Amino acid sequence: MTDHVARLYAGALALLVFFLVWAVVAARPWADTGETDPRMKALERREQRLARESRRVNRVVERRFAVYRRRLARRRKEIAAAEAEAAAAAVPGAPAVSGAAPAPVASAPAAAPPPVAVTTSAPVTATGSS
Amino acid sequence: MERLAFGAMGTRVEALLEAPPTQKARVALARVREEFERLERIFSRFIRESELSRLNEAGAIDAGRDLRVVVELALAARERTAGRFDPTLHDALVAAGYDRTFDELDEDAAPRPAPDPGAARDVIVRGRRITLGPGVRLDLGGIVKGYAADRCTRILAPLGPCLVNAGGDLAVAGTRSEGPWPVAVDVPDGRLTLAVAEGGLATSGRDRRRWRQRGEERHHLIDPATCRPAEGGPLTVTVAAPSATEAEVASKAIFLAGPRAQQEAELLGAPAVIVGGDGRTRLVGGLA
Repeated sequence: MTDHVARLYAGALALLVFFLVWAVVAARPWADTGETDPRMKALERREQRLARESRRVNRVVERRFAVYRRRLARRRKEIAAAEAEAAAAAVPGAPAVSGAAPAPVASAPAAAPPPVAVTTSAPVTATGSS
Repeated sequence: MERLAFGAMGTRVEALLEAPPTQKARVALARVREEFERLERIFSRFIRESELSRLNEAGAIDAGRDLRVVVELALAARERTAGRFDPTLHDALVAAGYDRTFDELDEDAAPRPAPDPGAARDVIVRGRRITLGPGVRLDLGGIVKGYAADRCTRILAPLGPCLVNAGGDLAVAGTRSEGPWPVAVDVPDGRLTLAVAEGGLATSGRDRRRWRQRGEERHHLIDPATCRPAEGGPLTVTVAAPSATEAEVASKAIFLAGPRAQQEAELLGAPAVIVGGDGRTRLVGGLA
């Protein structure tokens, strides 16, 4: 009788130990703790920052490109008008300008003035060996 | 036209501003003078406490913004001109006798041997730190006048077209109501006037800032190839460039090209007035 009870207790204990071992194995204490590597976090932060900067740069580039396209279209129109005017001037009796509006004088394509030229004006100051 | 003239950096400075004579204009002109005086306190090699003197003395310092900027401009110019413009010729200038302000030069001082032209002339700018190689000392007297003129036009420009002339290195911002700024250039056969619309103009020459050292004629333009005052070549070179700083560099580089000055100016495509050693005036770079 006593042996029977002892065997029962031993069986129950063995079962308990088995489940305990199972629980420990299932918990996988040797596996990664779940904390992310700080370098990975830094990389992610950098990636996000770069993505933000890239979006901002794209916006700026698009805006500038739009301005450039508008100016280019205006300039082409002005050049076409100036060419039409020049062509008309070369043909006696032809209408002064046809099609596009004449280019305003101020923004007509003019050769950039040289920064320096010889002049006969009275000087306001002088340069000499410094 | 508002005008202010004063002495600074061992030369006469003139600031012209086309604006009504308001308090703002007077304040801006006063700021020009303050700026020149501030830069002189940093860059003078004749002021012992100047930042440049401290750098030359110590060989390495944590420098302020202006000194770093000008040293970097000068080093870039040295590279661009293949060494003709060189800020490390301090000792050569001292050896030639220019060891004190021009007014105090001693013509009886014994000549000193010129430094070795083949010696290394390292200057390193890293962050705030400027480090000079062994035996290297800087003279930024030429380029800093252009730098100061450029800076001061930025002070005046918001009030109207302006011109700042630092003893021949001049910067212009904006065109006057009467047109570009007429600037006289000394040439042997009278005077030539250039109309400067923008940018800068500078003259390098051996006609001024000359002295005698024990009877020998000296001038302040040192040839880096010999570490002695340049011999032969043009008398003066006046060059126009996008800024006074660049004009100063270009005029010195063209001057130091010696007999090839005209070709050098044509190669650079810089509008220039070259007065040769023979007294003839040549206009190059689209000026003719």
